[in-house]
Amino acid sequence: MSMKRKKSSLTFDAIELSILWSRLISLVDEAGTTLQRTAFSSVTRESADFAVVLMDTKGQSLAQSSVSVPSFLGVMPFLVKALIKDHFPLPTWKEGDVVITNDPWLCAGHKPDIGIVTPIFRKKKLIGFIGCIAHSPDIGGTLWGAGARDFYEEGLYLPPMKLFDGGVRNETIFLLISSNVRASRQTIGDILAQVAANDQGIRGLHRMMDENNLDTIDELGASIIQSSEKAMRDAIRKAPDGVYRSVYHADGDGIKEAIQFVCTLTIRGDEIEVDYDGTSPAHSLAINAVLNYVFAYTAYPIKCVFSPEVPNNEGSFRPIRVTAPEGCLLNAKKPSPLGARNVTGNLLHGPVMKALSQAVPDQVQADCGAAVWVMVLSGRRNDGSEYVEYLFLAGGYGGRKGLAGPPTLCYPTNVANVPIEVFEHDAPVLVTEKSLIKGSGGTGKYPGGDGQRFAYKNIGTLPIHISNVTEKINHQAYGLLGGSSGKKGNLYVRTAAGKKRFTPPKGHDYLQPGEELVMELPGGGGYGKPKG
Amino acid sequence: MGEKNIIDCMKLGIDIGGTFTDLVLLEPRSGKLFFGKTLTTYPDPTRGILNGLQELMSLHGKSVAEVTTLIHGTTLVTNAIIERKGALTALLTTSGFEDVLEIGREMRYDIYDVFIRMPAPLVPASLRFGIRERVHATGKVIQPLDEREVVKTLRALVNKGVRAVAVSLLHSYANPAHEKRIGEIIRTQFPTLAYSLSSEIMPEIREYERTSATAMNAYVQPLTSHYLSQLETILGDAGFKGQLHIMNSAGRLTTIQGAGKAPIQLLESGPAGGTMAGIFFGELLKKKNLVAFDMGGTTAKASIIRNGQPEITNHFEAAREKRFKKGSGLPVRIPVIDMIEIGAGGGSIAHLNHLGLLTVGPESAASQPGPACYNRGGDLPTVTDADLVLGFLNEGYFLGGTMKLSREKARAAIKKHIAAPLGISIEQAAWGIHRLVNENMANAARVHIIEKGLDPRHFSMMAFGGAGPVHAYHVARQLNAPQLIVPAGAGVLSALGFLVSPIATEEITSYISTLQQINWTHLQKILESMTEKGRQFLAKAGVPSTRTKVKVVADMRYAGQGHEISVSLPGSKLSAASIPAITRSFREEYRLRYGRDMEGIPIEAVTWRVLVSGPKTALHPKQSVVGKHTLPLKGKRKVYWGKKYVFTPVYDRYLLKPGQRIKGPCIIEEFESTTIIGEHGVVTSDQYNNLVIELS
Repeated sequence: MSMKRKKSSLTFDAIELSILWSRLISLVDEAGTTLQRTAFSSVTRESADFAVVLMDTKGQSLAQSSVSVPSFLGVMPFLVKALIKDHFPLPTWKEGDVVITNDPWLCAGHKPDIGIVTPIFRKKKLIGFIGCIAHSPDIGGTLWGAGARDFYEEGLYLPPMKLFDGGVRNETIFLLISSNVRASRQTIGDILAQVAANDQGIRGLHRMMDENNLDTIDELGASIIQSSEKAMRDAIRKAPDGVYRSVYHADGDGIKEAIQFVCTLTIRGDEIEVDYDGTSPAHSLAINAVLNYVFAYTAYPIKCVFSPEVPNNEGSFRPIRVTAPEGCLLNAKKPSPLGARNVTGNLLHGPVMKALSQAVPDQVQADCGAAVWVMVLSGRRNDGSEYVEYLFLAGGYGGRKGLAGPPTLCYPTNVANVPIEVFEHDAPVLVTEKSLIKGSGGTGKYPGGDGQRFAYKNIGTLPIHISNVTEKINHQAYGLLGGSSGKKGNLYVRTAAGKKRFTPPKGHDYLQPGEELVMELPGGGGYGKPKG
Repeated sequence: MGEKNIIDCMKLGIDIGGTFTDLVLLEPRSGKLFFGKTLTTYPDPTRGILNGLQELMSLHGKSVAEVTTLIHGTTLVTNAIIERKGALTALLTTSGFEDVLEIGREMRYDIYDVFIRMPAPLVPASLRFGIRERVHATGKVIQPLDEREVVKTLRALVNKGVRAVAVSLLHSYANPAHEKRIGEIIRTQFPTLAYSLSSEIMPEIREYERTSATAMNAYVQPLTSHYLSQLETILGDAGFKGQLHIMNSAGRLTTIQGAGKAPIQLLESGPAGGTMAGIFFGELLKKKNLVAFDMGGTTAKASIIRNGQPEITNHFEAAREKRFKKGSGLPVRIPVIDMIEIGAGGGSIAHLNHLGLLTVGPESAASQPGPACYNRGGDLPTVTDADLVLGFLNEGYFLGGTMKLSREKARAAIKKHIAAPLGISIEQAAWGIHRLVNENMANAARVHIIEKGLDPRHFSMMAFGGAGPVHAYHVARQLNAPQLIVPAGAGVLSALGFLVSPIATEEITSYISTLQQINWTHLQKILESMTEKGRQFLAKAGVPSTRTKVKVVADMRYAGQGHEISVSLPGSKLSAASIPAITRSFREEYRLRYGRDMEGIPIEAVTWRVLVSGPKTALHPKQSVVGKHTLPLKGKRKVYWGKKYVFTPVYDRYLLKPGQRIKGPCIIEEFESTTIIGEHGVVTSDQYNNLVIELS
């Protein structure tokens, strides 16, 4: 191993490596850009909920598209390694093959995320893989939310299969998908866009290899992985060794089945180990997360704290290990429902940052008013036409050393809100308020950001089906180092008669004509003792 | 104003930049161009204009009174927003939505930065006021405007010292009545207040972006009006009697009144001038498809010219928190020439990053302290230092020899920070810096071109800016461009672009509907009213309606998508019978951009634009610069081309004869820049003294 490292660092000097590396990132970005712009899925498009990853023949990632949300950190290489090991051994891959799967345990933890993997051949030899993962417009089953009772209600399951076999379309798979999803044209369209994005990445890679007289990417990959790993290890080594524990309480269903995260974060030399032993068991709601998704959202805050500028590849994650007991909320098994696992993933920075604050207090932020609230509205307009609308809303951001937390800012995921005017244009609603809740951020030397109040009324003549996924209705975003917690959120319906009524914090409900849904999003935690 | 024969029109372009004010005078009768350059003056830039104007006129024996059209561009608006030097501004908005301006889109522009800073809104919470009123998405009034509350609020904010008011109400793009009424109240009862209505500034759906643009417009309005009237006065005093036009961000000209009303249109006038100059030279050389590449001291910019037209986008941000981070600024939906900008200029600093790898930029040594070779105290190695060490630049002929460069300082800086730590020679390190910065620019340009569904191999590259011609050869090779053009007059290029920009105005209306459901009578009425407005505007600027051109553009998408693409429509009379033609245009554009199509999904139009423009200026420039040498070959110098030093011939650009062919490698020097041509290039100087380099 050390011999090989020496050789590769001789092959690529600091200049060559810098040039070729940025070229690799540029070519996956080119592929990603095209995918994002052609996607129908609003989630892929507006919130950059996709990733394109270039991998070597071992499935180790060399470059990941730079515009991307945290959900996909490390996911693609995990998938490709599993494909090689359990499904399609290396010698069986042919030029023109394309593999599709949405297996939550291999991909990104719920069925709407579809992974597409294409092998890369050069001079008839397999030299690597390129894969992309993106949120599809629909995958059948119940509408997205926390409401599904089990895995099977959550729509179509696609085990790893060859969508193209040696360049030949597998029409059976296409037919099966298009017959099982809503908006089938858009869904198939997005799958083909993913295939095209991979092809574009491959063309870019060949061009780059032609120009630089390369026959393989193994040596280059080894150099990239090695230097990223070194940077990550160097950063971790600066933090004091120790075992840092945190316990973090969250809403669960927000009624009777609350959840807790127990996080034991061990820094030993240049490695970090995170274990979630003690965390709640799998939940009855569809908020369960699979381990590779948990890895992504655990590695993400660690990367933010230690090496935000190291590009994403195999090396940056090698020093991080994440474990959770089998069958728990963070290592769910079949048939646990997984649809809204994002709300759980989006909370993991809480316990991780809290543990890290004991080791590196200057580098962390106080808790954010996360997770991002997701509301899906569906129904028919007065003229009988159908609509489905996604709303994303952020609470306040946590305070940091030297800086107050901004109001209403997404963390850890990153989704743009839907403009009020677009929302009112698309659905029979009237927004009655969108304003900051003054003082909802925790106090502190650097206060937490304020949350927001968002309310809308059903002004149609038919009920609106709503799927709520909220968080921190019963819990607060914690403050750090003497800063206080942010205010809790709140969710209720105001009836046409002006009375308040209950609506489930996570789950389905109907908003009747004349009723108004009021959402109050939590503030972020403060950082440091307030002056005076 | 009567129209003169186009041949008699003497046109003057004046561009105010951070350091220099550039002037270009065109005498159409002789086809001659006269260039002038003077220092920009602070705090009153009109003094500099006057200096430059008098100098240029007296030098060439012309008089200001002969100038029939004067076109001006300035960084005034951009700087006022970056430096937050605008007026104390208040916002009136629909009650319950006062914080929309601060809430923004709730998205981070950098997902790994724990210490992220979001741009502060231009109007603080204490000056944002809700007014009771409500309009629905259909334009129907749900709650009438509370006029008493408007008056009360305005009175209160005048007392607070507010000088400008932004008015942005929900759905005002669909029904502007309430905004218009507020405007009337301000005009009649509070005449000292400047105001901007969102339905006039950016009548498009999406409240945050519209409010942001309106607030920004109000914020810079008082200072822009003041500046423009001052400019008119001094020019009048200097004897100017012609038309004064202002360059906007989309490469179009507007009037003083137009600029005063919508100053945010001026945000990118300088860079727009650069692209328009590219179009100008493209026309001379019969090149319709070009990548305009501009590399200066701190940044490099690239824009695409397709079919002789600039690519226009409506997504723009001002005053970014992080200059090169998309999303870190304040959004302004105005038409701007689509441009990518990266932190790669002559002053970009090279360093070894935490991975031990060579990195260049985006930090820049700027002009103070500047590159190490400027010998002004900077000791960090920059791109210019590398170019000097490699022999690309001439230490004795930088800016025509007016600035002496220190090769020793450049070598020392590169040795200390790059070569020694990496254990390589100074030349290898300098070559690495040169290559890496080229690679960064080529990568950014390639992504930009591919985003538009275009193929870089079909575009010639036009290079300008001080550092552009030094790096363009290698960047163009990276992009597989067939040809590189280095135009004459590179030092005053933006001002030159002003001269060829047409006077034009764009009217906008949001009317969202699938093609099948459009009420064509209603749409035709909208289009006619926009056309009429545009024609009236041009008539005031002296262009009779017989000479105007009307173009209708629709921003469309497949229903369900979130991004629209702008599609030029055939003709300006539309009806249900146009559906097939509109569908065809949309699908063609869609296929071009995305390489595929979505048959069977309805097409939806969101925003309608009517562009009314005046005639283009025909230019036939002739050389007007005279050099001092007698032979084009100045000598030979040692140049490091990656593996070894090669004695490379150096030519004087001003003495190249039209049609003369020179094979690379060679170097061509001129006052403002140096053109590098490697072994795969053959350069010809054309009749206008442009360098045309064929790349093989």
